[in-house]
Amino acid sequence: MSESVTDAAEPQLVPVNAIFHTDFVQILVPVTTADTIAEVAEKVAYHVEGRRVHKQDAPKVVFHGGRRLDPRLTVADAGIGPLDHVRVEYDV
Amino acid sequence: MTLLKREEWQHLVRDVDWTYSYVDDEAVYPEWLSGTGKVPRAAWRTWEEDYKVSYPEYVSTQREKETAAYAVKAALQRSNAFDELSEGWKSSTKMHYGGVALVEFEAVLGELKMARFGLNPAWRNMAAFGALDEIRHAQITMFFGHEFVGRDPQYDWTQKMFHTNDWVAISLRSLFDSMMVTNNVVDLAIQLPLTFETGFTNLQFVALSADALESGDVNFANMISSIQTDEARHAQQGGPTLEILVEHDPVRAQWVIDKAFWGSARAFAALTGPAMDYYTPVEHRKQSYREFMEEWIIDQFIRTIEDYGLRRPWFWDEFMKGLDTWHHALHMGLWFWRPTIWWRPTAAVTKADREWLQEKYPNWEAVYGDKWDVIIDAVNAGNVEATLPETLPWLCSLCHLPCCNATLGRDGRWRVRDHSLTHNGVTYHFCTNGCRQIWWKDKDTLNSPTVIDRFLAGEIQPMDVGGILNYMGLTPDVMGDDPDYAWAAEYRDRVTTTPLQVAGGAQA
Repeated sequence: MSESVTDAAEPQLVPVNAIFHTDFVQILVPVTTADTIAEVAEKVAYHVEGRRVHKQDAPKVVFHGGRRLDPRLTVADAGIGPLDHVRVEYDV
Repeated sequence: MTLLKREEWQHLVRDVDWTYSYVDDEAVYPEWLSGTGKVPRAAWRTWEEDYKVSYPEYVSTQREKETAAYAVKAALQRSNAFDELSEGWKSSTKMHYGGVALVEFEAVLGELKMARFGLNPAWRNMAAFGALDEIRHAQITMFFGHEFVGRDPQYDWTQKMFHTNDWVAISLRSLFDSMMVTNNVVDLAIQLPLTFETGFTNLQFVALSADALESGDVNFANMISSIQTDEARHAQQGGPTLEILVEHDPVRAQWVIDKAFWGSARAFAALTGPAMDYYTPVEHRKQSYREFMEEWIIDQFIRTIEDYGLRRPWFWDEFMKGLDTWHHALHMGLWFWRPTIWWRPTAAVTKADREWLQEKYPNWEAVYGDKWDVIIDAVNAGNVEATLPETLPWLCSLCHLPCCNATLGRDGRWRVRDHSLTHNGVTYHFCTNGCRQIWWKDKDTLNSPTVIDRFLAGEIQPMDVGGILNYMGLTPDVMGDDPDYAWAAEYRDRVTTTPLQVAGGAQA
């Protein structure tokens, strides 16, 4: 029951501390509780790929709290909270 | 009447003190300002400065310095020396004027605090001279910077910068408030005169002076050299204070000196590092920032702490490794987030620059070369938009500088790693282990939210790049940009392929 209430709720903003692959700096990236992990990877990459890191033709993977996350999970499902650190890497 | 020689009377007056009969000592020297701590009050009676000076001598010497400094300035004002300076070097001076002028004023307050609450009368006398020194430094820096306001509005930040919410201003205020305003005078004497002035100002005022002369900026070299001649005298307040503190409370002495060194090292990596290794034209660089640090700071700092029986700080390995990375990453950050600063940062990554950087820092290409290549390709493709920020860099909760320090992992990869902690349900991020450790020990005395904290709290509106720049006080005529982007042209024939990453961070 409580799950369906959460699902029905408006997505909440989740600002995260993110680092992309070999980039030189951690950045602020706003994601939402409803974003999938694959979408999180793209939102982080948007600020870095082709700006400071060569774009690679490879899938991206997100790490959070030492865990590699399933790209189909949502931010809420994965337990990513505001101010958490996420790392995005190319899966090569 | 025959006048007595100084040595015949000074010992009688240099430490004349009051004997209180209507109030007790704690009322005159309260602990939160005077900070004797575990040191018995009587122990401060032995405090003695090495180099003694009387007021007439002080005035006479200072008058000569002032006359000389302003005479050189007046002579150069009639020349076209300013127009001959490179944009890179001008950036070094803008950064210096804005970053230093009001820190000198803050030092006036610090010296006055020691002149009032210092625990020995000779110390209070020295601090009174120190306050006069710092008034001179604030004035001369402001006056020299002011001359150029009519030619370039970025020099207006000489006076304005410290009053803004620019992230650099917040970072410097946070550091210097903790060194001079929020602490007691014992900690102040060890943090400011001993650690900062004896060590780090040499780098800015002596070593950078050499770069100024090489770059043709006699005026700037003249100003900072004149300032530096005062430092040696008032900086000596630190030695006798540390000597007494070490004897009675070595743990406190070690902690205070360690964190002042760390904070100074972070600030200098942000300001002096880029000025020396990037903004000074490559043909004029005397030594690398790392070489200057080794010669002017590290040897002397280690000698000083060993002389007093203290140990190397716990962060020493992290600090030494950072000499090869901190300022390079901060330079890249200053360039990429250039609209947030009040100077025009040269990228300084021409082929000649990179050859010099690689020679001085053998890992430079492995850690930074690929990122500059991406930026270069974007510039050459006419896509300057891709080289401008659309979000904020994450700022360290202690030093307020971007979290941008790559380290070499056991897997052979250079990565920027997470240094965070959660306290009372809030997660804080730090650029290094050193900043995290100092924050943890000092957390109850810190209250300085970063720009990220302020942004997420909704204090910055609208919540976009324009809102952020406005919050920082940047106006279009002042906000930084690359001077011309023409430096990238020599890379037009570069083959833009993705380099293969191999172990150790090298590229194939």
